[in-house]
Amino acid sequence: MPRTLGRILIYTALILWTIIALFPIFWTFSTTFKVAKDVQLGHIIPWVDFKPSWLGLRAIGLSPDTIFTESTPRAEFIKRFWNSIQASIGASILALILGSMAAYGLSRYSYHWKIWKNRDISFFFLSQLILPPVVLAMPFLVLYKELALLDSMIGLILIYTLSVLPIVIWIMKDQFDTIPQELEQAALVDGCSIWGAFFRIILPIALPGMVAAFILSVILCWNEYFFAALLTSSYAKTLPVMVASQTGSQGISWWSMAALSSAAILPLIIIGIFLERYIVKGLTTGSVK
Amino acid sequence: MASVEIVDVRKSYGDQAVIHGVSIAISNGEFVALVGPSGCGKSTLLRMIAGLEEITGGDVKIGDKVVNGLPPKDRDIAMVFQNYALYPHKTVAENMGFALKLRKTPKAEIDQRVKRAAEILDLMPYLNRYPRQLSGGQRQRVAMGRAIVRAPQVFLFDEPLSNLDAKLRVQMRAEIKELHQRLKTTTVYVTHDQVEAMTMADRIVVLHDGIVEQIGTPLELYDRPNNLFVAGFIGSPAMNMFKGTIRAGAHPHFETADGTRLPLASAPAGSDGLAAIYGIRPEHLTLGGDLKPTVTVIEPTGSETQVIAKLAGEKIIGVFRERVNVKPGESVAMSPDLSLVHLFDAKTGNRIS
Ligand SMILES: Nc1ncnc2c1ncn2[C@@H]1O[C@H](COP(=O)(O)OP(=O)(O)OP(=O)(O)O)[C@@H](O)[C@H]1O
Ligand SMILES: [Mg+2]
Repeated sequence: MPRTLGRILIYTALILWTIIALFPIFWTFSTTFKVAKDVQLGHIIPWVDFKPSWLGLRAIGLSPDTIFTESTPRAEFIKRFWNSIQASIGASILALILGSMAAYGLSRYSYHWKIWKNRDISFFFLSQLILPPVVLAMPFLVLYKELALLDSMIGLILIYTLSVLPIVIWIMKDQFDTIPQELEQAALVDGCSIWGAFFRIILPIALPGMVAAFILSVILCWNEYFFAALLTSSYAKTLPVMVASQTGSQGISWWSMAALSSAAILPLIIIGIFLERYIVKGLTTGSVK
Repeated sequence: MASVEIVDVRKSYGDQAVIHGVSIAISNGEFVALVGPSGCGKSTLLRMIAGLEEITGGDVKIGDKVVNGLPPKDRDIAMVFQNYALYPHKTVAENMGFALKLRKTPKAEIDQRVKRAAEILDLMPYLNRYPRQLSGGQRQRVAMGRAIVRAPQVFLFDEPLSNLDAKLRVQMRAEIKELHQRLKTTTVYVTHDQVEAMTMADRIVVLHDGIVEQIGTPLELYDRPNNLFVAGFIGSPAMNMFKGTIRAGAHPHFETADGTRLPLASAPAGSDGLAAIYGIRPEHLTLGGDLKPTVTVIEPTGSETQVIAKLAGEKIIGVFRERVNVKPGESVAMSPDLSLVHLFDAKTGNRIS
């Protein structure tokens, strides 16, 4: 029975891993419904260990008894949520437009400036990922202050664009490299201009990669905390910063923090479930068979 | 339709020259094949006609108009690529109609022209499929369809058949030729397969290392190759060649280094003692005669027999309609058809006539 045994082992491992992967999410969701005592005593299983309460959701005005009333925390939450959406979607769109064009250029034309060629340019883009963001904290703070970009949506979008651009360029260059040059050339002969060939032929073929790059950069921007905390205060603050600032007079309000975190990861979970296909396809396969 | 004229065209990549001044005049409606070994610059030349490659020097004219600076879309040419380059996200019909759509042709007319091309190419059942759902041969046809739908001035083909299996290749060869007879569009066809060039083209341009070795009809090239390269390249199996010296006199003949005598009808004037190459095609040898090469391999194909033998230290191949009853190791008598012997100068490689 070595086959059955093998299966049992594989499934055990898979189940174990699933539990490990899902536990933090479960903990976050369940903590939303705990009171201080349950958190401190480490109660885990609802209804058995502890009695669920609406405390967490009430703190952000989303519990059944507060949802139809005026609520300052809820307004604040919606504002931060909206900021996060703006920052991550805006930066991702910008990065995708700029990144696709840069990647296309790197994939199709040979540039050189003195001793530097395409490969060096590609490496230059990627090398930005090597530097820890902390190193850039002071320069950016000073720069943003000079440019009056502190605590502005535009400022946040710009820095997010900058930070996801290398990854977008990387993914898109990979995509374009798998598309044979003859395809654009056929389009040129058929009557397209260079831009026409790019938009009508190349972009549609590279779409899976673009979707993957877009989703990935949305996720990265959505979760970003460091620059948001550094460069925003009251106006452009995003959800992660709001999550981190849930400390009241009696210490950390775990329940409201958990409620906010749940709301913050929910969109990502939805993206993950519905668009996973595209991410995998875009990242693994060349688009032209 | 239009004529195509290439005047002293040159191409360099950086400081590396790959085309060294090529001139070809192609008249209206002609089917010209560019042949040559891999890397000789066939594709580069074709792509310069298409406008996909910058021209370093010289002029390309399509219908009397110099097109050097024109982008491909303004040259009114259609091109079929080696890997077909079908748009994977468009159906067969959309692939074929794309060029017309870009020209803002009315939808009804696009449909009608695509349909007509599909009928010619037997593609009717596949119009709504995507390229990935087609076989190699069908994809090849779609690529041709995309070219003919437009009724361009010039067709350019870059080794369109090299991805097909042998049988399909022969079939498509005939189809392309038939298509040309029907449409009479000026065609430039690149191939490294001399049989393809011989069977399809009105005229053949033999390229070698970025220069033209010879331009002529298939039979001109076969009958009177200008130099050793063309002699060796055109014809299959290749021409037999022997190094040696021309001996004029009462009994003109050709003497190889080991003293073997090869017969000549006559020695060209003033060629006595000239170091030369003696060439005779395998199919111009007949059984019986003075030459006694030693057989190494016999390859009967039914209709003919190919005899591979050794003479004067060189390989000699003979192709005979008769059946040959000798075994490897034995010698077989054969003789060249004297009127079909070729002589080339050993130094320059050029034909001596
Ligand atoms: N982008 C390039 N940069 C530098 N050299 C190139 C470039 N493209 C082609 N070459 C060189 O130009 C020469 C001609 O290439 P080309 O593709 O025209 O050959 P070809 O005759 O079509 O050969 P094949 O039968 O293999 O297709 C080759 O020696 C090749 O190395
Ligand atoms: Mg080629």
